[in-house]
Amino acid sequence: MTQEELNNKLSGIKDKVTKIDKMSETRIYLYCESENSYAVNKFLFEEVPLRFVIATGIDSDDCFEVLYHYSDDETGCIVTAKAFIRDRENPIIESIAPFLPGADWAERETHDVLGIEFKNHPDMRRLILSDDWPEGVYPLRKDAEKPGKRLGGDPAKRPVDQAKCPARRTIRLSKPIVPIGPSHPLQEEMEYFQLSVEGEIVTDIDMRLSYNHRGIEKISESLQFDQVPFLISRICGICSASHPLAYVQAVEELAGVTPPERALYVRTIINELERIHSHVLWLGLAGHFIGYDTVFMWAWKYREPILDLLEEITGNRNNYGNVKIGGCREDIPNELKPRILKDMDETERKMDMLIKAVLDDPVLHVRLKGVGILTKADAIRYAVTGPTARASGLPIDVRRDDPYATYADLNWNVITRPEGDVFAKAVVRLLEVLESIKIIRQAVEKLPDGPIAVEVKEIPAGEAVGRVEAPRGETFHYVRSDGGNRPVRHKVRAPSYVNVPSFKASCIGESIPDVTITLAAVDPCYSCTERLAVADKNSRITHDYEALLRLSRDETDRIREEIGSQHLKLEDS
Amino acid sequence: MGTVLAGRGKGNAMTQALWSLFWITVFPGFLFTFSLGLLATWVVRKVSALVQWRVGPPVLQPFYDVAKLLGKEILVPEDAQRIVFIAAPLVGMAGTLLLSTILWRVAVAQSAFVGDVIVVIYLMVLPSLALILGSSASANPYAAIGASREMKLVMGYELPLVLALVVVIVKTGGQLNLAAIAQQTPVYSISGMLAFLVSLLCIQAKLGFVPFDMAESETEIASGVLMEYSGALLAVWKVMHALMLVALPLFLITVFLGGFGTTGCPLAWSIGKYVLVLVLVILIKNTNPRVRIDQAMKFFWVYCGIALVLAVVLAAIGSYYDINWL
Repeated sequence: MTQEELNNKLSGIKDKVTKIDKMSETRIYLYCESENSYAVNKFLFEEVPLRFVIATGIDSDDCFEVLYHYSDDETGCIVTAKAFIRDRENPIIESIAPFLPGADWAERETHDVLGIEFKNHPDMRRLILSDDWPEGVYPLRKDAEKPGKRLGGDPAKRPVDQAKCPARRTIRLSKPIVPIGPSHPLQEEMEYFQLSVEGEIVTDIDMRLSYNHRGIEKISESLQFDQVPFLISRICGICSASHPLAYVQAVEELAGVTPPERALYVRTIINELERIHSHVLWLGLAGHFIGYDTVFMWAWKYREPILDLLEEITGNRNNYGNVKIGGCREDIPNELKPRILKDMDETERKMDMLIKAVLDDPVLHVRLKGVGILTKADAIRYAVTGPTARASGLPIDVRRDDPYATYADLNWNVITRPEGDVFAKAVVRLLEVLESIKIIRQAVEKLPDGPIAVEVKEIPAGEAVGRVEAPRGETFHYVRSDGGNRPVRHKVRAPSYVNVPSFKASCIGESIPDVTITLAAVDPCYSCTERLAVADKNSRITHDYEALLRLSRDETDRIREEIGSQHLKLEDS
Repeated sequence: MGTVLAGRGKGNAMTQALWSLFWITVFPGFLFTFSLGLLATWVVRKVSALVQWRVGPPVLQPFYDVAKLLGKEILVPEDAQRIVFIAAPLVGMAGTLLLSTILWRVAVAQSAFVGDVIVVIYLMVLPSLALILGSSASANPYAAIGASREMKLVMGYELPLVLALVVVIVKTGGQLNLAAIAQQTPVYSISGMLAFLVSLLCIQAKLGFVPFDMAESETEIASGVLMEYSGALLAVWKVMHALMLVALPLFLITVFLGGFGTTGCPLAWSIGKYVLVLVLVILIKNTNPRVRIDQAMKFFWVYCGIALVLAVVLAAIGSYYDINWL
């Protein structure tokens, strides 16, 4: 589909929308009233058709807005349907989840944080708020209390008794179940998958997340534009280059800033290094999950030099904090170029060997082929992204479709496989590592001289989106500004947020050992998926921010003393 | 030495009973096999570590682990069948101890009885049986899945294991006596080699090592069969496993590799055989992913089964026409 065809197609829904706003060639907004939102979305998803990205709610004082973002991956165009809900007292809109299961979680989350009812939604249980969160308190409404204070007022009034809790999250126990989580050796983080089983065959799967919800979107609204990247990079240690870059790109689009070319190259290099270490990390974990610990250890050993390189460039193995609005904070010194190239050669050699060993192993073929198949149709319905989509034959990659940084100037391939099984996902990730090495080599050789940042003073009012192909898929950030120095709304959609729900399509009917590796095969990142203080079971805060900070500093001091390092006084900022 | 010791006790019933006690508890019974087993556990961990580019634990780590577990609290789940839950690991360990004592007596004292091959086969099932009982008694869904997998696995590998022994019995001219079998080396023939390789995989499954660790499979069912065990009871399982690490390779050596000589040069040769079997087991463990239970059963019944039926036929032809290498 070309840009023109897309424009023509979009005009087919003219009578249902009040306005079509073209911010730029590739950013189109359709305004509509809440009554027409269902028809507009059905049109966009089924008739045009576009790939669903995420739905967001915003409290814009006089009304609620629900934004449905879609992407056309051939033109790199983002089409956003903006539905206005005028009735603030009783906000209702029709759910699109019945025909678009990928929107299921997004609508549940919007209901949790803004209190918008989604009519005909198949499953309106809570998604991200904790069980004892009081009814009728919506954290992202502008009349909610400011963060820092406890939301919802008097803790004594909270329904702490499970029996009195809103029953929406209660999980029905009618069949024999095998719980995977909340804490389970399969997972590095807290997440709950409830497998209903008959013998070893899984007949149904239910998911529950948000054991570690940190309210990052809310905190982001209280920070200044230039502080947000530091917060955002803490969404996830592994994707700590992708998230800030997506945010920064959104703000740069808003402010109309183009960063200097050298900065774009630096961003490319760091992001590709991140992809290599993330994919190799996954390979190791996947090996561990199917009992192949040798692969686990070898993969992680080969990953170490990449982390060393990242530390050399940015000062950190993870949480690089290198990207800022208008460019980068730290340059890659030209003296480092030979070292990067040398490390790339080394990594390529080792990865070639590892890839051969893994992809030619007959036992792995038997174990992983045909397991946990996500069909192309399901991949579209659940709106999955990244290697998960590419292994199901969907050739989508933001780096090529909506190029950012310097990907358009470099020569590389998008890897796809048609099978959709776990083995295909492994192949896609492994071959992508080799592509990343190719990209880094070219970027290092082409690295132009010049400044690495321009100064940005004002962020005008408006809204913008930024997206980046993170290792696990498309990371999507939506930022709205009212001309002040803080975002009024910052929505984060991490790739696992759409990849994880696809388990409903890929796991049912499989046996337990196959389901566990399928769960791991989308490389789920729960901290990304969930985006505050230590509380006991009665929701009393036992350690607030200050206490945690003090605890961690005491611990650092103790360790320093133990290893005989110089005592360093840490000052409160 | 062994014959002397065994012979001396003949006169006095009391002395003989004391000697038997010594056989079972000290040498070559519990204390000796236990120490050797923990050492073997260390070898497994250390070699695995080296294959995986890790440093690995110090030699005494398995002893520390068992000692630590002995000092920990034993938790019995409320819904568990208490008696079975507690007795299962003890039964399993006792069975393995008996197994290793019988095998050691064959090696050290050439003392055997007709039909001990059959007894050994039965005793080798006991640890798996105990695991199934203990985990079923623990009233945990993960353990239940583990138990059902262990059960299927036992059914899977018992058939090829028995067939492998049939090959040996045919090769040795109908011997049902371990000491007599140990005089010969069936592995120097096609059928014997086949039987040995399949038995090695059966041993791998009995030990619960990758690729056949689906009953425990940590990342799926969180160590399944052992899930509810803690403290001293868990230590008993660990000790049982350590004993198996001695007894099962010893069984292979006795049956296929010409027995375990205990004096002079044969001793060094025997230790070499033991290390060979152990290293083979460790290498298989470290170069494979875990397979599914249905794949394991198919492997044992179809592939190993067919290979062994072939081996039995070869062995029968070989013994009928006196062709030793068949």
